[in-house]
Amino acid sequence: MRAFSIAAMELKRFARVRNNIFQVLVLPLLIVLLIGAQAGGGVDPRVGVYTAEETALTSDLIDGLRAIGGMEIFEVGSRDAVVRQVERGQLEAGLIIPDDYSADLQAGVTVDLEFVSTASLGFEGLGGGIDAVVTQQASLVRAAQFAQAAGVGTFDDAFAAAEGWQASLPPVEVTTSLAGEESDYENYGQFDSGSHTQLVLFTFLTTLGGAAAIIQARRLGVARRMLASPASVRDVILGEGLGRFAIAFMQGAVIMLATWALFQVNWGSPLGAVVILIVFSAVAAGAAMLLGALVSNEDQANSLTGLLGLGLAALGGAMIPLAAFKYLSETVWRVAHVTPHAWALEAFEELVGRSGGLADIAGFLAILGAYAVVLFVLATWRLRAVLTH
Amino acid sequence: MRAAWTIALKDLRQRLRDRSAYIIGIGAPLGLALIFGFVFGPLQEEYEYSATVVVVDLDGGPVSELFIEGTLAQLPDVEVQRAATVEAATEMVAGDPNPLSQDSDKADAAFVFPPNFSADVQSERPVEIQVIGNRQSQTAAGLAASLAEGYASELSSVRVAVATVEELVGAEVDRLATGVAILQTESPATLVDITTDTKQLDAVTYYAAGMAIFFLFFTVQFGVTSILRERADGTLGRLVAAPIGKSSIVAGKAISAFLLGLISSAVLVVATNYAVDAKWGEPLGVAALVLAGVIAAIGVMALVSAFAKTVEQALALSSGVAIVLGFLGGTFVDVSGGQGFLATLRYASPHAWFMQGLADLTTGDVSVVVVPVLVMLAFGVIAGALSLTGMRRGLQP
Repeated sequence: MRAFSIAAMELKRFARVRNNIFQVLVLPLLIVLLIGAQAGGGVDPRVGVYTAEETALTSDLIDGLRAIGGMEIFEVGSRDAVVRQVERGQLEAGLIIPDDYSADLQAGVTVDLEFVSTASLGFEGLGGGIDAVVTQQASLVRAAQFAQAAGVGTFDDAFAAAEGWQASLPPVEVTTSLAGEESDYENYGQFDSGSHTQLVLFTFLTTLGGAAAIIQARRLGVARRMLASPASVRDVILGEGLGRFAIAFMQGAVIMLATWALFQVNWGSPLGAVVILIVFSAVAAGAAMLLGALVSNEDQANSLTGLLGLGLAALGGAMIPLAAFKYLSETVWRVAHVTPHAWALEAFEELVGRSGGLADIAGFLAILGAYAVVLFVLATWRLRAVLTH
Repeated sequence: MRAAWTIALKDLRQRLRDRSAYIIGIGAPLGLALIFGFVFGPLQEEYEYSATVVVVDLDGGPVSELFIEGTLAQLPDVEVQRAATVEAATEMVAGDPNPLSQDSDKADAAFVFPPNFSADVQSERPVEIQVIGNRQSQTAAGLAASLAEGYASELSSVRVAVATVEELVGAEVDRLATGVAILQTESPATLVDITTDTKQLDAVTYYAAGMAIFFLFFTVQFGVTSILRERADGTLGRLVAAPIGKSSIVAGKAISAFLLGLISSAVLVVATNYAVDAKWGEPLGVAALVLAGVIAAIGVMALVSAFAKTVEQALALSSGVAIVLGFLGGTFVDVSGGQGFLATLRYASPHAWFMQGLADLTTGDVSVVVVPVLVMLAFGVIAGALSLTGMRRGLQP
């Protein structure tokens, strides 16, 4: 019971500082909002096209782009403007048709069309669609050039004939089917994965920040005074841990509830989500206790909090999605799973992406539980030494 | 001025004796830059399609063979296996896509060429290539599909060309031979990706720079809050009582913050350049941006701290502002690609100008940093001047 009163006191101390409320409750929501607005689901990517000429070939090309759908096509006045607008984020991609495009093609000169896209955003898919349109036009030109070179007709006659055949001949099709277990990413809305990653990032980061409070309690002699009372070392450590845990859980719960209420974020099975939050909060509280035991000065604790809180989040897939690691580098993917973040995110993916239940995430929960136990045992061992020193 | 220097050097010595100065000024941003470099580094590398694919060739004709032996076998990191039936291939693809799973005999995608594929391609009949991907690794499925689509569009193109030639000649030609001849001609128009030539920072440099400017605000925090610290420690009264002007005290604090910011930034630029191969760009431009960034950081942090009564308050307030400005300025997440609102709002953050300046500098033209540098200086000077009014009040011991 004494542990509970110590935990309650910790919470009271925490709530007295207005900035804590801002950092724990307001800031994460603000950032989820920023990232959600950023991800901008439902808004078509903007593609700028520059062409110096208006010929049948160029207008066919632009019509072809419009026909792809799923992107907004803008005509832009110059090549430099296309590049600049992509650099400044005003366009997601650009297509630059070279000057003398039509004349060169008719003269049998090969031409390069330039494609540019935002380097940091994954719009590779856009390039594919645009490439298909360019290739389609190139194939007509190739047919016309071949016929002309073979001496069976003029470029224009052959081009017209090729256009007719392209319209009438069925194209060689590719059909894609999927095998294997269901993975329904359709369940993800605009704010969903952003909210999951921010929950994990912030719960861990701000809870880790509690290390400074533990150091303060040590430095101000609060801990020693508690030990002078009938509270045992175990009570004090347990109380501190419970306090950290409660703050972590509250923060996570606020992010969950607020994002659900404001942005209809899908957290999957409510029971599963709450259990993940509980276990992950315990991991974060354990990490905070350990840091609070190992470091002896609040400034250092704060800097290490920034380093570990953000660093582990980046490694664990809370900044770029874990799924991307798999394809980019297996090493990164393996290292990611050293962090508790990755396991918590995998658990959320199971809940939301595959509509899993508590039983489906039991493995992830067990791993997170093991993290929590190990961290608490280490922290208790170190804190006991520091407090009774 | 001498007094200001004495105070600045005293502060600097005091700060450098504290290990936390190194952690916040160098350790944390460098550590994070290394982590980001590790995580984002692979994004940088030229992506090579490496996979195991399985082919079901129910056709066995020259056109399917051309894809298997020509296209697939040409890809350096693609292992091609064959399966006799669609069922067998599906089973290989359907396994667990987790790269750590030890399932042997699994494939990332399957290609199926139906019976009579080669003959049908040379006719006017509809024809298709089938791709089977794993539901859980749709990227691999998409890559396989785009390979097949590339080949299919080549075939469609050849079909159109052959039909065109036949129409013009007015008689049937040897379709296979003509098709192969057409395939050997160069495509008249190709799409070239010029994204890497644009003024955008690569991911590793982006995050190294982002971390440097983000933590810079925390590094200068010590200097700008040290007047409050001196008051808490009771040494402010002694400073004010000494025969030095109040402006010397303020100048001393500003100089120490400036030097700390400059030293840590310089170390970061050099360290990330070697450690993670961050490409900062033209040294003169980088130096101007860093100088202006330090001044902006001092001004902004001083202004925020001027509202605080205690060191704790000042630290909390200014940290909050630094975090919000950092996020807004895109030091963690690139916000430049957002929709209008956020992409514009970011210019209210000095961080955004720093990042913009570096991105523009990738062209190698130093003059492009003039505007970002002037804007950051304006941030620093205006905020710093405003903070002086508050600071003067703070100089009462």
